[in-house]
Amino acid sequence: MKLLGLIVKSARRSKRRTALTVMSVAVAVFLFASLRAILDGFNAAAAASSSTRIITIRSTSLIFAMPSSHTQTIRSIPGVRDITWANWFGGIYKDPNNFFAQFAIDAESYLRLYPEIELSASEREAFFADRTGAIVGDGLAQRFGFKVGDRIVLQVGIPTYGSQDFTFTIRGIYRAGAAAVDNQSMFFHWKYADERSIEAGQIGWFVVEIANPDAAAQVSAAIDQKFSNTPYETKTDTEQQFASSFVSMFGNLNVLLGSIGLAIVLTTLFVAGNTMAMSVRERTTEIAVMRTLGFPARAIFLFIAGEGLLISIVGGLLGAGLAWAIVDGQNFGVSGGFVPPFGVTGRNVLIGVALSALIGVLAGAVPATMASRLKIVDALRRVA
Amino acid sequence: MGLVANYNLRSMIARKGTAAMTAMGIAMVVAVFVMTLAIAQGFQKTLVSSGSPDNAIVLRKGATAENVSAVARTQLPLIESLPQVARGDDGKPLASPELVVIIALPRFSNNQTANVPVRGVGPRAFQVRESLKFVEGRPLTPGTREINVGRLAVGRFQGLTLGSDVRFASQTWKVVGVFSGDDAAFESEVWGDVDLMIPAFQRNGYQSVTVKLTDASAFESFESVIADDPRLDLRPQREIAFYADQSRVMTTVIRVFGTFVTAILAIGAMFGAMNTMYAAVAYRKREIGTLRALGFTRRRIVAAFLAESIALALIGGVIGCLLALPVHGLSTGTTNMASFSEVAFKFRITPALLGGGLLFAALMGAAGGLLPAIGAARIPIARALREI
Repeated sequence: MKLLGLIVKSARRSKRRTALTVMSVAVAVFLFASLRAILDGFNAAAAASSSTRIITIRSTSLIFAMPSSHTQTIRSIPGVRDITWANWFGGIYKDPNNFFAQFAIDAESYLRLYPEIELSASEREAFFADRTGAIVGDGLAQRFGFKVGDRIVLQVGIPTYGSQDFTFTIRGIYRAGAAAVDNQSMFFHWKYADERSIEAGQIGWFVVEIANPDAAAQVSAAIDQKFSNTPYETKTDTEQQFASSFVSMFGNLNVLLGSIGLAIVLTTLFVAGNTMAMSVRERTTEIAVMRTLGFPARAIFLFIAGEGLLISIVGGLLGAGLAWAIVDGQNFGVSGGFVPPFGVTGRNVLIGVALSALIGVLAGAVPATMASRLKIVDALRRVA
Repeated sequence: MGLVANYNLRSMIARKGTAAMTAMGIAMVVAVFVMTLAIAQGFQKTLVSSGSPDNAIVLRKGATAENVSAVARTQLPLIESLPQVARGDDGKPLASPELVVIIALPRFSNNQTANVPVRGVGPRAFQVRESLKFVEGRPLTPGTREINVGRLAVGRFQGLTLGSDVRFASQTWKVVGVFSGDDAAFESEVWGDVDLMIPAFQRNGYQSVTVKLTDASAFESFESVIADDPRLDLRPQREIAFYADQSRVMTTVIRVFGTFVTAILAIGAMFGAMNTMYAAVAYRKREIGTLRALGFTRRRIVAAFLAESIALALIGGVIGCLLALPVHGLSTGTTNMASFSEVAFKFRITPALLGGGLLFAALMGAAGGLLPAIGAARIPIARALREI
C-alpha cells in the first residue's frame, strides 16, 4: 500500500506529462471501443438470429422472385411448422438519399414468426385492418418524425411495381426486441404491393419456421430438393448464414477494423512507453537513492510498472466511459441504413479498459526492468 | 535554417530512443490514414474508369442505377438510328443494349455467397468499350450460351475459370474468354448475350443502352433529341458522370470513416509528440539560455523547436507511408450500394495521397510542437543559465 502512495506521488510529479499521456490513452481507448461497437453492430443480426427460422431465396440470387405457389409446397414439407414471406420494395421517400428498408410482408404470419417486432395489441389490430397501413421502427420514426396516423408517399423504385406512387398510413411504431430485426425499417401489406405489380403472385423470400433447430440442414435440403430442376430453384439457409453473408457483402470488415485496432494499440504503446522511459530517465538518481535506502529491485520494478499501469488505466476508464456516454445507437444509426445502428456496450467498455491495462503493462515493463537493474554506483555518479 | 540543421536535428539524434518512439507513433497514424483513403481511392478509380468520355448510357427517366431502369426492345432501334451514335467499320451503330442482374456465387476468400453482377450485352459491346482487352480466350459468340468473365471476378468468385461451365438461371453457360480493362468495374462482371439473358432471367426488356458517340461534344444534341422524342421516356447521361455518381455514396462513407478514425488517433499521437517536445525543451533549458545569450531571438527559438517537431513528425510520416505502401495494388471487394453487386477493386496509393499523409504528419508535428516551442522561447535567460 505504501507503494501505491509512492506511485500516485510520482505520477503527479510531472502533471502535464501525466495528463497528456492519460489523454492519449483515453483517445485511443475511445476509438477502440467505438470500432468494436461498429463491428458488433454489423454482426448483431447474425448473433441474435433465431435458430428456428430458415430463409428460402431463389438459387440464382436474392433479387429474383418466386411464385406464391411455393408457399403450399414448402408448408407440406415435414419439419416445417410455419411460413411467411416478404418482398423488397425499394421505394423512394421524397429523395433517394432518404434511403431506408421497406418490406412488403404477409402481416399476420410475419409478426407471428418475428416476435422481435414488438407492437402494442391495438396498433397490431389497426395495422391488420388497414390494407394500405404500415408500421415503422421507432428509429425510423425518430429519423423522419413519423407519427401514428401520418400518411406517407413512396415513389416506386423498382419497375416491377408500376409507376404510380404508393400512399401508406402509419398504423403503428414498433420496437426491435432483438438485433435480428432493426428499428430502421418499414413494413406494409404484401397484398397492397402485389395488386399493383406488373406480374402478380411474386415473392422475394420465404421465412420458414422449423420445429426442431437441429434439423435445419435437413429441412433446408428438403425444400431445395423439392424445387430442383424447376424454373424456380431455391436456396435455403439458416437465418444466421443469411445474415452473415449480408455482413460479408461490405467487404472484409474484420481485417479492416482489426488492423486499424492494431494500429491504435501500437500508436498508444509508443506514446505511453515513451513517457515512461522519459520519466525513468529523469529519475535515475532518485531510483539509485531508493535502492541505497534498501528498496529491493522488485519494489522498484513494481513502482515504475505500477505508474505505467495507473496512468494507462485512468486513461482507459476515461476513454471507455466517454465512448459509452457519447456513442449510442440512436445517434449513429442514421447513416442512411448503410451502417447498422451501433452503441458502445458494457462489453466494449470492459474490452477497452482491459486494453488500456495491457498497454500500461507493456509500456511500463521495459523502463521498469531497466530501472530495477540499475547499478547503484553508476546511477549515483550520473549527472541528470 | 542553420540553427535548425546544426542544433535541433543533431540533438534529435542525441535523443534517438525518444525521437524514434514519437516518430513511430506518428507513423502508425499516417499508415492508417493512407490505407483507409487508399480504399476510397481504389473504389472510386474503379467506378470512374468504367466510364469513357465519348460514351453515353441511356436509362429510364428518373432511374439512378441500371437495376431500377427499363428500356423497351422497341426503343433500341430508335436510339441506334440517331446520327450522334458512332458507326463501326461495317456501318452498324455502336450501341449495346444491356441488362444487369446479380447471381449468387461463393467467394474464394470465405466461401460465403457474393452478389456477382451478370451483364447481358449486345454484339458490339466490346467495340463500345474499347478499353477492354482479352487476356485469355476470345469474345463470346452472340446467340450462344457463351460468357466472358472479368479478370478480377475470375480470382474472386468460384467456378469462373476459362473453359469451365457455370450454372445459373437454370442453364449452363461456358466461359470462353477473360477480359481486363483498366481497373474498371467490368472486371468484376460476367458478360453474356443479352438476348439470351433476358428470357433466362425471365425479364421482358433491356435496362440500359450504352452508345459510343461520334465524339464527346455530340452529347448535348444526343440528349436533346432523346428529350424531344415522345416515344422515348429515357434520359442519357455521360458514362463518366453516371459511374462517378455510382461511386459517390460508398466513397463518401469510406472517406468520412477514415478521416474520423485518423483524426481521433492523430490527437493521441499529437499528445505524444507534445510530451516529447516538452521533455526536449526541459532537458535543454541551459542550452536554450546559452543560445539566447548568444543573441538568437525568441522568434528564432520558436521556429527552431517547431521545425524540430515537424521534422520528427515528417520522419514518422515517411515511415508511415512506407508501412502503408505494400497494400497498394492488393485486391479487395465491397458492395456497390447503387447496384447491390460486389465490385472488386485494388487499394490505390497515389503520390497525392502520400503527400497528404506527409502533410498530415507535419500538421501533427506543428500542433504538438507549438506550445513547447513557445515555452522554450519564454525561458528567462538568467534563470536558464543557472539551471543544472
